[in-house]
Amino acid sequence: MKASNILFIVTLLVVVLYSCKKDDDIDTEKPDIDLTIPGAFPANCDTMYFGESFNFNALFKDNYELGSFSIDIHNNFDGHSHSTEITQCESDPEKDPVNPYVFIDDYDIPVGLKEYNAVMSISIPAGNTDGLYDEGDYHFFISLTDKEGWSAQKGLNIKLLHR
Amino acid sequence: MLLISMCFSFGSLFGQSMYKLSGVVVDENSKPLTGASVFLFPVSRGAVTDAGGSFIIENLPAGNYKLKIYFIGYNTLSDTIAIYKDMTYNAALKVSSLSLQEVVVSDDYAETRKNEESLNIEVVNEEYLKQNLGGSIMNSLERLPGVTAINIGSGQSKPVIRGLGFNRVVVVENNIKHEAQQWGADHGLEIDQYAVDNIEVIKGPSSLMYGSDAIGGVIDMSRRNIPVENTVTGTIDLTGKTNNDFLGGSFSLAGRINNFFADFRATIIDYGDYKVPTDSVDIYSYRAALDNNHLRNTAGKERNLHLSFGLIQEQFQSTFYSSNIASKNGFFANAHGLEPRNVDTELHDKSNRDIQYPYQKVDHFKVINVSQRNWERLKLESDLGFQRNFRQEWSSYVDHGHMPPVFPDTLSFHPDLERQFDKYVYSANIRSYYQYNEKIQLSSGLVVEYQDNRIDGRGFIIPAYRQTNTGAYALVKYSNTENSMIQFGIRYDYGHINTTEYYDWFPSPVVENGDTTYQYLQRAGDIDRSFSNISWSAGYNYNPGKWSYKANIGKSFRMPLAKELAANGVNYHHFSYEVGDPDFSPEISYQLDIGVEYSNVRFAIGTTPFLNYFSNYIFLNPSSEHDRLYGNGNQVFYYTESEVIRYGFELHAHYELFKSLQLGVIGEYVYSEQLSGEKKGFTLPFSPPPSAIFNIKFRKDKLINFNNVYVSFDYRITAQQNNIVPPEDPTDGYQVINLGFGGNIPIGNQKVSLSLQIQNLLNTKYFNHTSYYRLINIPEPGRNFIINITIPFSVRINN
Repeated sequence: MKASNILFIVTLLVVVLYSCKKDDDIDTEKPDIDLTIPGAFPANCDTMYFGESFNFNALFKDNYELGSFSIDIHNNFDGHSHSTEITQCESDPEKDPVNPYVFIDDYDIPVGLKEYNAVMSISIPAGNTDGLYDEGDYHFFISLTDKEGWSAQKGLNIKLLHR
Repeated sequence: MLLISMCFSFGSLFGQSMYKLSGVVVDENSKPLTGASVFLFPVSRGAVTDAGGSFIIENLPAGNYKLKIYFIGYNTLSDTIAIYKDMTYNAALKVSSLSLQEVVVSDDYAETRKNEESLNIEVVNEEYLKQNLGGSIMNSLERLPGVTAINIGSGQSKPVIRGLGFNRVVVVENNIKHEAQQWGADHGLEIDQYAVDNIEVIKGPSSLMYGSDAIGGVIDMSRRNIPVENTVTGTIDLTGKTNNDFLGGSFSLAGRINNFFADFRATIIDYGDYKVPTDSVDIYSYRAALDNNHLRNTAGKERNLHLSFGLIQEQFQSTFYSSNIASKNGFFANAHGLEPRNVDTELHDKSNRDIQYPYQKVDHFKVINVSQRNWERLKLESDLGFQRNFRQEWSSYVDHGHMPPVFPDTLSFHPDLERQFDKYVYSANIRSYYQYNEKIQLSSGLVVEYQDNRIDGRGFIIPAYRQTNTGAYALVKYSNTENSMIQFGIRYDYGHINTTEYYDWFPSPVVENGDTTYQYLQRAGDIDRSFSNISWSAGYNYNPGKWSYKANIGKSFRMPLAKELAANGVNYHHFSYEVGDPDFSPEISYQLDIGVEYSNVRFAIGTTPFLNYFSNYIFLNPSSEHDRLYGNGNQVFYYTESEVIRYGFELHAHYELFKSLQLGVIGEYVYSEQLSGEKKGFTLPFSPPPSAIFNIKFRKDKLINFNNVYVSFDYRITAQQNNIVPPEDPTDGYQVINLGFGGNIPIGNQKVSLSLQIQNLLNTKYFNHTSYYRLINIPEPGRNFIINITIPFSVRINN
C-alpha cells in the first residue's frame, strides 16, 4: 500500500469522525432550591418543636424538568454542622446522642414540571418507645434532582426543642 | 489438552535448508560472559550464553537478520548479518556503568510485544520513570499520549487509557494480572514505583491476550533486570518532594552465583498533606476553609518489601517474585461520609504529617512464579500466582439511615471500621510459542483465575463473592513479506460469579399496609451468574523503510463486576447511593485501531486514530430518585448500560534542531457519546479533555563533570471540558509548565544519577477533569520540586 493512500484514509477517518459530532442539545444545568420565597420554611437557624408540625415550604426550579426531592433531619450534636448558608447559628456545646430524632423521606414531584412549590406539613413526634427525643442542634438537609440526574443540596442548621 | 496437541502437531520437519549461528560473547578483557542474551530479528529467536560465553541458534533459514546482544551492565550490541551457511559470530561487549539498565534476559519480552504488535504500544524504561517521577506510578506515566490517571490525593491514582479506566484497564505485574479493588476510585494501584523497570502500555482492546477487563488497554509492568554472574549489585534511591514534604527511599540488593540469582528490595515512603493553591474548597454547596493551603488529612505512608530469586539456564528459567505493599493514607477529612463535614480543625491541623480519621489501609501480598522452557522451535511458559488484597476504611462511627445512634457492643466489628475488603486470588497461566517455519508463528494459552472476596465493617456497598474466570486462546502470525505481517487470534472465556446475601446489622422501619415494623433489610441477594464470550483480533503491520503502518480490528469484552451486579449502599466519597443490576450481560466492545508513523534520523511524526463501539457500556447513572432507608436521603445512582461510540487519536512528532536540541509535541483527543439509554447524548464520566505537551529537550553527552546531561521543558495545554455528564461540572482549560533536568556523575566505574523536576512551575491553580477530587472542587497540587538520586554499587564475588 502506498503511504499517500494510507494518509488519505487516516485523514478521511478523522474528518468523518469530526463531522459526526452532534450539536449539543443535552441538559447540563443543575436544578435550584429557592428558600427566599415569601413563606419559605425552614430557614437557617430556625427552631422547631417536638410534638408539633411545621409547614415545609420551598420553591424548586429546573430549566428542563424536575425529578424528586428528599428531606433528612439528623442530629448535629458533634458539631459536624455543614450548613450551606452564610449565616452562622449559635450552637450548643457538643454532646453524645442518647435518643436522637431521625427523619428521612423522599418525595415525588409531578411529571413535567419546571417549577414546583413544595408545601407540606411534617409532624415531629415528641418521642418513641425509648422515651423523649434529644433536644439540641439538628441538621436539616434537602436534596433535589432533575430528570437528568443533576442535583442540588441545601444544608440548614436548626434547633429541635421540647416546648 | 487442546493446547498441548496444538503445540506438538506442527512438530514435523520441512524440506528447507537450515543453518546455525554460533559464537562466543566476551567482555573487554576477553573474559567469557555467561547469561548474555542473543537475539535474532525478525524471527525472534534467541539464546543465552553458557558458562563459556558460547551460544548456538539453530534451524535458521537463509536471510538477513538483525542481531542484538544484551547483558546487564554492558552496552547492548546491535549488528546486521546475512546468514547463508553455518556461521560464527563472536562479540565483545563494553562495560556500561553498573546502574540498572533495561535488559531483556529471555525473548519473552519481544514475543509478547509482537503478539499485540498491530495495536499501539508505548514502552517505558527505568530512565523515563526516574525523569518523570510523579506522586504514584500512574502519575509518572501521565505524560504518555493517550494515558491519564484518575487521582485521589497526592499518592494514589488509577490508570486511564483513552478515557477508559477502573476495570476497563488490566494491570499486569510480572505476568500475573494485578487483582485488587480496581472498581473503586478511592485508592491507587498497589505497585511499588521503585520496583518496576519496564512498563508497556497497550492502547486498545486486548482481551485476546489479557482476557476480560482488557477492553480499554493494558499496563504491563515487569522487573527484567538480572544481576551479572558472580556479582553483588545494588542501588539506593532517594526521593524528595516539596509540595507534600515527601521523603522516599528504596534500597535494593541483588546477587548472582552462576545460574542462581536473588534480589531484595525495601521501600519506605512518607508524605504529608499536600498543598493546593487555594484557601478554601467548595464541596458541593459547602465551603471548607483550608489551613495554610494544606488539603487536610491527605498524608500517607508506604512500606514495601520484595524478594525474588530464580534460576537461569540456557533452556530453562524460573523466577519467584514475592512482595508486600503496605500503605496507609488519609482522606480529605471534610469530604468523607454522607455529606460534607466540619471537622475538628485543632486536631486535624496540628500536624500536616499525621494521619487521622478518615483513612484507609491497604496491604497487598503477592507470590508469583514465572517459568519458561525453550526448545528448538517451541517455548512453553507458565505463571502461577497468589495475591491477597486487604483493604480497610476507618472513620468515626456516624449513624446514618436507621443505624443506632450509640453503637451496640454486641457486634463482631469495630464501630470505626467503615468497610473492609479482603480478597484472595489464585491465578495460573500456560502459554506456548511455536515457530512453524520462518513465516508462521503460532501461540496459544490457557488462563485460570479464582477469587474469594470477603467483606466486613459497618457500611455496606458490595457483597462478598466468589468468582472464577477461565480462558483459552490461539494466535497465528504470518509474515507474508519481509516487512509485513498479518496476525489473527481468537479466544474463548468462561466466567462464574456467586455473591453472598447480605442483611443490615440494624433494623429499619418498613411500612406495610399502614403498619410500621422494624426489619433487618436485605441489601444483596444470592446472585449466581455465568458468562461466556468469544473475542478475536485481526491485525496487519507494514514497515517499508521510514514509514510504518499498523491496523487492527478486534472484539473485546468485560464481565460485569460484583459491584455492577449487586451494589446497594452509600458511597462515602461521593455522597451517593449506588445500586447494581443483577441481570447485566458482559460488556462488549469493537475497536478499529490504526497507526501511521514516519521517522528519519532527525524527524519523526506519527498518529494513532481509533474508532470504538460498545454495545452495552456499564456505568453509574445518577437518577432523579432518592433513597430513604440507608443514608441521608441521598441521590440514587443506578448501574445502567447504554450503547456508546468513542473515537479519538494521539499525535506525536519530534524534530532534532541540533544534535543536542530536540523539539517535540504530544497530543491526545478522545470523544465519547452515549447512543442510547437515559443519558443518550451525554458523554461518559471522567472524559479527558483534549491536551497537548510541547517539549524542548536539550541533551549533552558530557558537560563539565556530568554525563548524559538533559534539560527538559514541558508546556502542557489542556482544553476546557464542557462535555460532561451528571454529577460533573465543566472544567476550565489550563496551561502548566514543568521543568526537568539531570545527569550522571561518574564515580569510579559507577554513575550516580540525579534528576530534578519542577512541576507546576508557576503554581497555577487548575482543575483536572479526570481527578476524583475534581467532583468536590479541589484543585491540583501547587508547585512541586522533586529530586531523585540513584546510587548504584557492585562487588564482584571471587570464586
